[in-house]
Amino acid sequence: MRYSALTLRYFETVPGAGALDGVGILRGAAGSRAQGTWVQFDLQVSSGTIQAARFLAFACPHTIAVAAWITEQAAGRHLQMPLPETVEELSQRFAVPIEKRGRLLIIEDAWRAAAQSGEHH
Amino acid sequence: MNSLKVASRPVYLDHAATTPVDPRVAAAMAQCLTAEGEFGNPGSTSHDYGDAAATLVEKARAQVAASVGAHSDEVIWTSGATEANNLAIFGAAEHYAKSGRHIVTSRTEHKAVLDPCRELQRRGWRVTYLAPDGDGLIDPAQVAAALQPDTVLVSIMHVNNEIGVVQDVAAIAAICARHGGAWLHVDAAQSAGKCAVDFAGFGVNLMSLSAHKAYGPKGVGALLVSRRDRGQHGDAAGGARSFAHTHIHLQALHFGGGQERGLRAGTVPTHQVVGMGLAFELADAGRKAEVARLGGLRERLWQGLQLLGGTFRNGAAAHSVPQLLNVSFEGVEGESLLAAVRGRLAVSTGSACTSALQEPSYVLRALGRGEVLSESSLRFGLGRTTCEQDIDTALAVVTEAVSRLRRISGA
Repeated sequence: MRYSALTLRYFETVPGAGALDGVGILRGAAGSRAQGTWVQFDLQVSSGTIQAARFLAFACPHTIAVAAWITEQAAGRHLQMPLPETVEELSQRFAVPIEKRGRLLIIEDAWRAAAQSGEHH
Repeated sequence: MNSLKVASRPVYLDHAATTPVDPRVAAAMAQCLTAEGEFGNPGSTSHDYGDAAATLVEKARAQVAASVGAHSDEVIWTSGATEANNLAIFGAAEHYAKSGRHIVTSRTEHKAVLDPCRELQRRGWRVTYLAPDGDGLIDPAQVAAALQPDTVLVSIMHVNNEIGVVQDVAAIAAICARHGGAWLHVDAAQSAGKCAVDFAGFGVNLMSLSAHKAYGPKGVGALLVSRRDRGQHGDAAGGARSFAHTHIHLQALHFGGGQERGLRAGTVPTHQVVGMGLAFELADAGRKAEVARLGGLRERLWQGLQLLGGTFRNGAAAHSVPQLLNVSFEGVEGESLLAAVRGRLAVSTGSACTSALQEPSYVLRALGRGEVLSESSLRFGLGRTTCEQDIDTALAVVTEAVSRLRRISGA
């Protein structure tokens, strides 16, 4: 498997990898380790605006790279805004093979789950 | 041999996939290519050029035969082990089609055996796929139980290419001989030239060999076709079967020249077979010491990997070749693991990764490993170029990669 330079950069540096602790942290996850892809986002939110984000992922390099990039873009965005790019745009940005597009939907689901968990707070 | 000790290149631990050609082998091959050397067609024995090439071809045949306990006239040159496997399986199935249409093999064979078997199924043959135990071993009793009156071929590999376990092919050969109608083919691509192989002593009827796994060139291999009488034929399985021949015969798959006893038409590539012959001869020299050296290095690697925790050795340690170690790592995704070590370490997952979606190893799945652990495995193939420093580098690289991926996954 060959990866784009951008994918390799984010896979190797993984900005935003980890978890957030504390009161009011929004957390959402999607996928399953047993099926090979699992992603979790933690969001620290103030007045509806994301202050910080972290992710954990049991996933392929493409999925890890995209999750890392999304996490990096998160600060300053409104909680209810969608991902900074569509799945199609993310696929192109990171040269994700078409067979793996479903994994980006797992990222989208995890992000949505984290954002929607705030509705219960 | 220090050709892989280039500082900027990753440590090469994929000798089970292929090996570098020994420089002495490369030099011998080069002597057969140009006008100054023996470039003649070994089939053109009407002149000195062809005669000289034919002499080299027969010398190489004798070298390979001596290395694996066979007679020279039992060596049929092929383009590699895949072609040898195809010739053995299709050649035997077609020749004995009137005697029976049942074949026995195992679930952990190389694709070069499994795919021909599946093709024969498509053409109407029945194939029994034996399941190994959790260590990857086939109990010869399983073979005995699977044999049917119309079984014509059993195909069991000597050394597994992913986990390195050694099957008891001599015991299986004895079972096949007792059956009377089933011939035994052994894929020895991972063993010949690396560990002790005794074609006659094992009592095997057909054996596939590869040159490039043993520091020879790619593109050449051989099928050993036994000319020994089996001695016992006919109704041993209870049927009224009889055979016109007492040693195995094959239906040719290639036609057009009658080379290789009519079993493999086509001009014999002198340089390739000279390379294979010398590679096998060189492999025999000092093999005992090399086996001991590699066994020590493999254990050093395994001891170090165990410190990570959540590591699982695949295949029976007590029944495996010293040059191969297969380990699953808990808490890491397989493709990411391979990507994380790439650039510093050349290893493989052992699974056929022919698409963008990495498939879990069917060999490890057959051993009962779960899907995730089957995918998160690395195959370390040690070889002549491997030294202690390589093992220590591999340990450092894998330890860093697994630890990093476990942190990312929250494991």
